[in-house]
Amino acid sequence: MTSKISIRGVSKTYNSDAGEVAALQGTDLEIRQGEFVSLVGPSGCGKSTLLYIVGGFLASQGEVRIDGKRVDGPGVDRGIVFQEYALFPWLTVRRNILYGPRVRHLPAAQCNAIADRLIDVIGLRGFEHRYPRELSGGMKQRVAIARMLAGDPAILLLDEPFGALDAQTRETMQDELLRIFLTMRKTVLMVTHDVNEAVYLSNRICVMSARPGRIVEEFAVNLDRSGTREAIVLSDEYNRVRNQVWLSVRRQVAPAATRA
Amino acid sequence: MLRSIAGATMRLLPIAIVLAIWQAAASLRLVDTAFLPAPAGVARALGDLLSGHEIRDNLLVTLFRALAGLVLATVSGVWFGIGMARSWVFNAIVSPLVGATYSLPKTAIVPLLILWFGIGSTMGILAVYLTCLLPIIVQTYHGVRATPAVVIWSAQSMGAGPRKMLWQVFLPHALPDIFTGLRIALGFALVVAISAEMIASTSGIGRLIFMYGESGAYDYMFAAVASVVIAAFLIDRALLRLSARCLRWHESQAVADIGAAV
Repeated sequence: MTSKISIRGVSKTYNSDAGEVAALQGTDLEIRQGEFVSLVGPSGCGKSTLLYIVGGFLASQGEVRIDGKRVDGPGVDRGIVFQEYALFPWLTVRRNILYGPRVRHLPAAQCNAIADRLIDVIGLRGFEHRYPRELSGGMKQRVAIARMLAGDPAILLLDEPFGALDAQTRETMQDELLRIFLTMRKTVLMVTHDVNEAVYLSNRICVMSARPGRIVEEFAVNLDRSGTREAIVLSDEYNRVRNQVWLSVRRQVAPAATRA
Repeated sequence: MLRSIAGATMRLLPIAIVLAIWQAAASLRLVDTAFLPAPAGVARALGDLLSGHEIRDNLLVTLFRALAGLVLATVSGVWFGIGMARSWVFNAIVSPLVGATYSLPKTAIVPLLILWFGIGSTMGILAVYLTCLLPIIVQTYHGVRATPAVVIWSAQSMGAGPRKMLWQVFLPHALPDIFTGLRIALGFALVVAISAEMIASTSGIGRLIFMYGESGAYDYMFAAVASVVIAAFLIDRALLRLSARCLRWHESQAVADIGAAV
């Protein structure tokens, strides 16, 4: 079976005042259709850089292929959500969600149907005509997710999507994302620094080394996600994987800390 | 309602106090009214002037020059700013020119403009245009440059091409800064339009003020100045209203009344 996303020998160096900084080195990763893969690792390990390269926002050495086709820029097949929401502040909630469909000149009736459905999915009915500045962080991130889903991309790229939210809101949003993922069966690549979040949501977790980052360990997560959050979080499998991943990340952080 | 009336009264009070002190100084003969006419005399002259066409006609000429220059500068300055922010090559060509002319007081080149274009509206509009162009360019440039990468990337991942990026991302993101530039430029526009008329002109409120000053009719001179102050104030308020309307979405609008803060 061919991969949905194929990352081969991807490396990236940044030019800074201090000279060239290697952010990523020789990274390989194959992601199958319908998989939910998380990237975790020490801060500054290049996990977001890798996500941006898959998004086509950054150039790199090596190659990224989607359905066997080489990525050479951003595309509507890959939707993205950032930690800082990145909504258009000059557009209302509804217009933010409809940005993609309108850019692609979908008929008005279809646009309205998409907006109505997604506003219900994210539970923001009554807020359609508000501007982002009038929304809480959690609401903004819901809009960002709806805006991404409006284009119906096959791949969802999530860059620490819940990193700016408080613990309560974060759990609610994780449950909503899980529900969306289970019903829509998208292929997801998520960057997070929260090991619990990674285990709760992913099928597979890739641990990256400190900079220059590369994938050093992978963990499969075989959880029955049909139950409640409590049932999942209290299960033996969840805790076994969580401890393994946590220790793995610790091993990557420790040498970086002694060097710093 | 009551509160807004009270607020307006509070803001007018300092102006009233200054006028009262001025009037008292004149009435008590602490100043020579030949050189500093009393507010009552200025008001009388203003009433006299407003009953004729002189102020109105000259003020309209000046406002036409100032606003025509401002509009031309805004339309072209926004494109210069966007071009500089988005094109490395364009920036390399234009940026040194902007840097070199930014701090030049544009009234200094009015004699040159007179030489090239003669005295009249073309010269006035051009002087205003050159003055207003730079703050608009600089503000637009900064507004576009400050567009966060994540916002640009989001738009790209939803299928926005370069043209849509320009109209739907960079321009709206720069709009608050463009309005800031517009307000700075508006102040410059009137100063330069009036100064150019004082240097050489056959019409305009600047020429009128200069003429009254030359002939020693200081109460009429002050009346003409007062008419400019009132017109400038009203235009500035209109611009603030327009900007509040266009920037309803912006964080700055969380502060209820920006007029009260200025």
